[in-house]
Amino acid sequence: MVKAEAVHKSYGRLEVLRGIYLEVSPKEVTCVIGPSGSGKSTFLRCINHLEKIDAGRLWVDGELVGYRQRGDKLYELPDREVCRKRSEIGMVFQRFNLFPHMTALDNIVEAPVHVRRESRGAAEARARKLLDRVGLVDKTNSYPNQLSGGQQQRVAIARALAMQPKLMLFDEPTSALDPELVGEVLDVMRGLAEDGMTMIVVTHEMGFAREVGDTLVFMDYGVIVESGKPRDVLANPKHERTRAFLSKVL
Amino acid sequence: MTEIASGPSAASPEAGRRPEAIKAVPVRHPWRWLSAVLVLAIAADAVYTLFTAVQNDVTGAGSGWNVVLKYLFQRLILGGVALTLELTVAAMVIGIVLGIVLAVMRLSPNPVTSIVSWLYIWFFRGTPVIVQIFFWFNLNLVLHRIGVGIPATNIEIGASTNTLITPLMAAIVGLGLNEAAYMAEIVRAGIISVEHGQTEAAQALGMTRLQVMQRIVLPQAMRVIIPPTGNETISMLKTTSLAFVATVPELYTRAQQVANFNFAVIELLIVASMWYLFLTSILTFGQYYLERYFARGAQRELPPTPFQRFRQMLFTFHAPPPQVPDVVVAVPHDRRV
Repeated sequence: MVKAEAVHKSYGRLEVLRGIYLEVSPKEVTCVIGPSGSGKSTFLRCINHLEKIDAGRLWVDGELVGYRQRGDKLYELPDREVCRKRSEIGMVFQRFNLFPHMTALDNIVEAPVHVRRESRGAAEARARKLLDRVGLVDKTNSYPNQLSGGQQQRVAIARALAMQPKLMLFDEPTSALDPELVGEVLDVMRGLAEDGMTMIVVTHEMGFAREVGDTLVFMDYGVIVESGKPRDVLANPKHERTRAFLSKVL
Repeated sequence: MTEIASGPSAASPEAGRRPEAIKAVPVRHPWRWLSAVLVLAIAADAVYTLFTAVQNDVTGAGSGWNVVLKYLFQRLILGGVALTLELTVAAMVIGIVLGIVLAVMRLSPNPVTSIVSWLYIWFFRGTPVIVQIFFWFNLNLVLHRIGVGIPATNIEIGASTNTLITPLMAAIVGLGLNEAAYMAEIVRAGIISVEHGQTEAAQALGMTRLQVMQRIVLPQAMRVIIPPTGNETISMLKTTSLAFVATVPELYTRAQQVANFNFAVIELLIVASMWYLFLTSILTFGQYYLERYFARGAQRELPPTPFQRFRQMLFTFHAPPPQVPDVVVAVPHDRRV
């Protein structure tokens, strides 16, 4: 589903990604851990082309991200194409980023109606089902600032699901939440994983990574230091840096 | 006896009972009262002085206030009021629409549109409005015909400048194009004020740049855009008096014309000022409700309007203190099991 080969990315002179190699198969849940500044979020944002990579290759579903290859020449994709591809990948942000001027329902309906040109009725019907799925039917007409952090994040997940994505990216979805609200968001994500959604989750929730993740990836300083079955990596980290990191967070 | 000073414990019989509401003697503010009296006295003196001065101003038409009353609703003046309103509305509509377009162009990654917008703002902010109105008014000195056509053929759609650019049109175009330059910067400030995460979230959903702007960013920018736009509208109301260079007889020009005729200069200035104040008050009122509309989602509960507050004050003057719910510990009702 996702394949990264020697992905590099710099901001000015700061090299954030220094050669990422990763493969994610369909229906797989990949959890990415690592210290802050290790490039986890940047890598995630490269996958839906919110950031442009400088070198290497990145594929989603067999297609290059942001480019088209003809012969050995790369052509930048026009905006329209980039948008279409983004609409097939759901993304959930650390700070929720719900649209504050719209109700929960309108947040979810927005993209299906205006990007996918679905009828409002059909989109709303699906939005209500999604709200039910994340346990928030009673918040249909609430504005984001009337919701708790956990509720907002669940609406944000529903908003991403409304586009029926083939891949979901989670960028530290529980890091901005009060500890007691983390559980409700992780429950929703666990449910998604059980339904066979392909997910890449940048997280600090080791428990979630152990139970739900199929693969655990440890990133540091712009490279993947170690990856493998979550239980193995967490219990017997092979690399010194992984061990040092885990000893601090576990 | 020692007691732990941390409030009643859960086991104590006092737990859950609400103590009696605090009744304390409020802090006195003698200086507030004194300054209020002083300000009132000065204001009263100023009003009285002006009032009697106008009263005694002999213009041959009797008491000054009678002159004011006579002209306040006079046909010529009312015509001027109508023209002033027309100019304000038309110029602001052009200004706002073009301003939004210019702001979006200015922030576009396309260097051509961005530079065009920059040049427009530079030019129209950099030259006086009065010159711009005068230029449009005299456009036929440089251009005799306005139209589009294909060079080297006879195909052309157009008309003579004098038929197209009437004096009113010259004033509207002059004021509107100038206003657009100012509005562009106001709109740009609003757009920049919207958190970048909003744009990212919208892009991640697959929205195009234009959709992000239209559906997500601009509606949120409105909160920042409206107050200075209200300012601009009120300012425009008075700037329309410059339309006199295009011989448009709006409120101020009409008042001047009448004063030239009957020499009641101060009285007619008062008439014009009263109308300007009245129109400004209406605009201020409208702005308040517009701001409230775009504040939805930005505040949990909208604050009551002045009217609602006034009604509350009238009807709850001796109301009992608010009821306290019996429940002491609230359990979030949406926790999923």
